[in-house]
Amino acid sequence: MTNNITTKTNGELNPVFLNQLLDKYSNELDIRKWDMGASSSTDISVQVQNGNAKQLKGSQRNSITLRVWNKNKVGITSTSDLTDKGIMKAMKGAIEASLYGNEKESPEFSSLAKSPLKDISSKLSKSHSIDQLLTILKRAEKQLIDTHDSIDSVPYNGLSESYIERLYINSDGANRFMKLSQSSIYLYAKSEEKNKKPRSAGAIRINSDLEKLDINSCIDETSKKIISHLNYKAIETKKYLICFTPEAFLQLINAFSSMFNARSIIDGLSLMNEESLGKQIAVKSLNISDEGLHPDNIGAFSFDGEGTPTQNINLIKSGILSNLLHSEATARKFGVAPTGHAGLGAKVSVSPDWLVVSKSKGEMDMDETLSVKSTLQEYILIDELSALHSGVKASQGSFSLPFDGWIVKDSKRTSIEAATVAGDIIKVLNSIVKIEKEKIVTHQGISPFVWVENMSITGEA
Amino acid sequence: MLTKHSENQLFHTFDETLRPQIEELLSLGKSAGADLIEIFLEKTDNISLLAEQDDISNVSPSFGIGAGIRVFLGKKDGFVSTNDLSKAGLLFALSQALGMLGLEIATQNKHNFEGLDSLKDYGIKKKNWLKDSPDINESTIKLLDSTKLLSSKNKNLEVRRASYSRSWQEVVIAATDGVFARDIRLHQTVGMNVIAIKDKNRSTSARRYGSSGNPNDLRNWDINKSAIELNESAEQMLNAEYVEAGQMPVVLANKFGGVIFHEACGHLLETTQLERGTSPFHDKVNKKIANTAVCAVDEGLSNYAFGSLSMDDEGMEPQNTLLIENGILKQFISDRAGALRTGHPRTGSGRRQNFSFAAASRMRNTYIKQGTYSPDKLIESIDKGLYCKSMGGGSVGPTGQFNFSVEEGYLIKNGKLDKPVKGATLIGEAKEILPRISMCANDLDLAAGFCGSVSGSINVTVGQPHIKVDSITVGGR
Repeated sequence: MTNNITTKTNGELNPVFLNQLLDKYSNELDIRKWDMGASSSTDISVQVQNGNAKQLKGSQRNSITLRVWNKNKVGITSTSDLTDKGIMKAMKGAIEASLYGNEKESPEFSSLAKSPLKDISSKLSKSHSIDQLLTILKRAEKQLIDTHDSIDSVPYNGLSESYIERLYINSDGANRFMKLSQSSIYLYAKSEEKNKKPRSAGAIRINSDLEKLDINSCIDETSKKIISHLNYKAIETKKYLICFTPEAFLQLINAFSSMFNARSIIDGLSLMNEESLGKQIAVKSLNISDEGLHPDNIGAFSFDGEGTPTQNINLIKSGILSNLLHSEATARKFGVAPTGHAGLGAKVSVSPDWLVVSKSKGEMDMDETLSVKSTLQEYILIDELSALHSGVKASQGSFSLPFDGWIVKDSKRTSIEAATVAGDIIKVLNSIVKIEKEKIVTHQGISPFVWVENMSITGEA
Repeated sequence: MLTKHSENQLFHTFDETLRPQIEELLSLGKSAGADLIEIFLEKTDNISLLAEQDDISNVSPSFGIGAGIRVFLGKKDGFVSTNDLSKAGLLFALSQALGMLGLEIATQNKHNFEGLDSLKDYGIKKKNWLKDSPDINESTIKLLDSTKLLSSKNKNLEVRRASYSRSWQEVVIAATDGVFARDIRLHQTVGMNVIAIKDKNRSTSARRYGSSGNPNDLRNWDINKSAIELNESAEQMLNAEYVEAGQMPVVLANKFGGVIFHEACGHLLETTQLERGTSPFHDKVNKKIANTAVCAVDEGLSNYAFGSLSMDDEGMEPQNTLLIENGILKQFISDRAGALRTGHPRTGSGRRQNFSFAAASRMRNTYIKQGTYSPDKLIESIDKGLYCKSMGGGSVGPTGQFNFSVEEGYLIKNGKLDKPVKGATLIGEAKEILPRISMCANDLDLAAGFCGSVSGSINVTVGQPHIKVDSITVGGR
């Protein structure tokens, strides 16, 4: 008989049955040590166009990743076939892969895989029907278009509601399970005025509960942004004083997060090296931490792919590189504890959860007078960076990125037609002249407005 | 906990024997009042390998199953995907997709579906592709040979990586318009990337090659040629200075240089963009949108090309679609939904990453056709400009503005190549740049790539001969 490891109607994982099945198969195949990460999600989403449904989507997805230790070599397989036959095939695949495992870099179970977890409040919100989502999004689209005559459409939009489960178990008795809900809306509007180029702008909001999703502020932000881009001009190519919005600065730091990544450092893919810890890499006023447990981090899980508890960790403290992000294997190599930032693999990846940028207490800024609300001198306000996947050379530290933003003079903002900003991340971190006090929560982390002097901008004037 | 045995009949064997179960599902959907129901079933067997320096550091096999059910009613559609290929799982997915459009499975009136056509089995000649592909052992040996070869050619290489991935996919597509088709797809890619370090200078260089439908592709990979090319690029860029920003003429090399046409123009010729109202070319069929030097096609037919296919993900055979002829826009790239909503006929371009995406109009092998000039003539025609020998990635905004990084660039001075430069980005807008492509060389070549868009990440080919753009904004420092 073929069984399925999920319930019939909602795709939920069945940890007890999975554990029993893996125990049984590992015994049959003479595997004494294994671990498994699994995830399951149920989503519905809608897109609209001109007041009509454009696409309605639903999905139930499950997958597992299975690791086996076979004579000290580790093999891995993933599968979305959660029938018992599918699981058996995955285990055999992992055993075959283990024959090519790298003994020099063999992962172990995390020493923290059975440690207590921090309590992340993850109440599951009430689910909604696709009709309810559709009604909400149609209303949002209309509201947004009605805010200004020039907004002719919202070509990219979406409203979704998801329920996500994550599971980690191992042959040593570790057993982690967590489930959460998440809703998101994005609105990306287009405007066109006679004899002018079309302009576009957008915003996104995320919440664990659809009822609490701040749709009005998403509409408001999109509308204000696109209206501000209607009157645009080309700017000169030269060096400018720059102010990064919280979103843009977090985009830039995330793009260079291999600086904090122990895996990248070991592999020679980071700007930093093993001797960089404890060194000054930025102005003294800069703090950067990774805070997966922050209450505003929607979608946070309390454990990582190896079952290690999620932790908040300082990365840059008063300009000094103070800690790195670790998996079990990299932590062992550095002689520290894993930090809860691992995936699951034969070679385990490491990534940040939720970056928080702040100003060091007691440190002065180079230019205390700068303020996005009151500065009169000319500067460029960078709102959003694009093409991060291609314009960033993380291992070299250089970047050249198109951006949306404004040139600001005497507090008057004028949209920039098209431009790119180029530089070197270490130079940027050492050319910060002001970190504003107000910390702003975004969907990708927290940051204040950050000012950097003397950055190269290519315009079209 | 577990599905009931009686409901547990699995849709795991992809052949003619599925007909009665699929017809039953389609019939139920039709009876509910849907205009059209399409079922996409998928099995995958993939592997990815990574060699770093002189070790294999990752071997990751993965298997997958899944189904996507799409229901059309008028111009609306609902789409549900699931990993559960039991009868109960598919029935549940169907009822959800119908429910999205306000329809319910009825127990009566099952006579309005005439059944599926004969199975078109494109996979029958491909049944040995998986077993004929290199196994893990053979693949790891080839990868280690390649990283070893890299080290022998350049002492400045601090990081040497080579990767291989094989993606095998078996699909069945059935729809209430009678479509019933099966196919097997095999895609392989190899990638190499290096970091060279000398004194305080660093350079990175990467190449990727890919094919479809060729089990011997990895075996035939000329690692010596790749290693030489990559080493030359890394070494040149190690000594490169940052490019000075400004407006200038550029020559874009062939192969992956075609990524700009793909991103900046190709996407705007997909009916998906017409539906959104974001293509500046929506009313330009039979009108001039490019320089007369430009002829461009999108096709799915070239032997072993990464974007080739026997049928698209809606069961239609791919067409050779002439997009631009002598600068005149001729046709858009269309899928089932695109044809329904925009009136542009289907071109066999309905594509999706996997079962969890509804198909959308997407490119296959897209390239500018070759002209008559030798590549040198293009360089010689420029007093001061930029030669983009190797392009990185890029992106296109919703209104057609694009940007691309240049991986390997050289200044052009007085009609000749000069010193290498780094940090260049090309910025522009499709409708402004197309008229400025004034010369096409006679050396068309293609390159494999992945394209991410509404229906996920798919295999495509980009390409062009060397082309000259009279003026473009180059971002730099």
